[in-house]
Amino acid sequence: MITNYLIIGPVTMNIISMFIDSMGKMMDSGGHSIFIGQVRADEIGGKKVKAIEYSAYEGMVKSEADKIKETILSEFRDTKSVEIVHSTGIVNSGEISLFVLVSAGHRNQAIEACSKAVELIKDKLPVWKKEIFDDGSHIWKETTKV
Amino acid sequence: MQVKVLFFGVLADVAGTNCKHFRDVNSMEDLKLRIQDDFPEVVHYNYRISLNNVLTDNDPLLNDSDEVALMPPFAGG
Repeated sequence: MITNYLIIGPVTMNIISMFIDSMGKMMDSGGHSIFIGQVRADEIGGKKVKAIEYSAYEGMVKSEADKIKETILSEFRDTKSVEIVHSTGIVNSGEISLFVLVSAGHRNQAIEACSKAVELIKDKLPVWKKEIFDDGSHIWKETTKV
Repeated sequence: MQVKVLFFGVLADVAGTNCKHFRDVNSMEDLKLRIQDDFPEVVHYNYRISLNNVLTDNDPLLNDSDEVALMPPFAGG
């Protein structure tokens, strides 16, 4: 169950389908842009990432995600809606930890707004991640700008 | 005043807890000193502070039952 933009464990195909299903009801939208963030099986120092454990400051996630939505809707005037779901708890490599869907009247703003939303989420959402390796050890990860 | 302090990310590991209540707190400055006394390793890490879910860069006034969070750089997404 999604509570205040957060779900415990991975974002499932059922959740993604539910949001894609809802797109058909948005008669004023001509373009939808989706970003899916997946846990990557990075190799660090000879060890492979098996999973990421996400933790979040839940009270602040709601207010910050609300602000991100407002920012996107006001900066990209053609956007109609912004949906965000972020995982907390354990997400295994290959599973999905972030889902963003932006709907707009036209494709350019859908794509640009979705990209901006993802950058804002990485910058502003109070979420932390612990990479868990196949040998059971872990490190805390900071966001890398790419 | 009683203030609840939350530790997130690596700070929860370093502090050995994700929550501690501090009693008889006089001010944010006082609270910061007491956090450093109780959890000396925390000073070696970068973090920002929020008060009742709002980021703060200075020492705002505290009220009884406030919630202060120590937050390392975010790493969501």
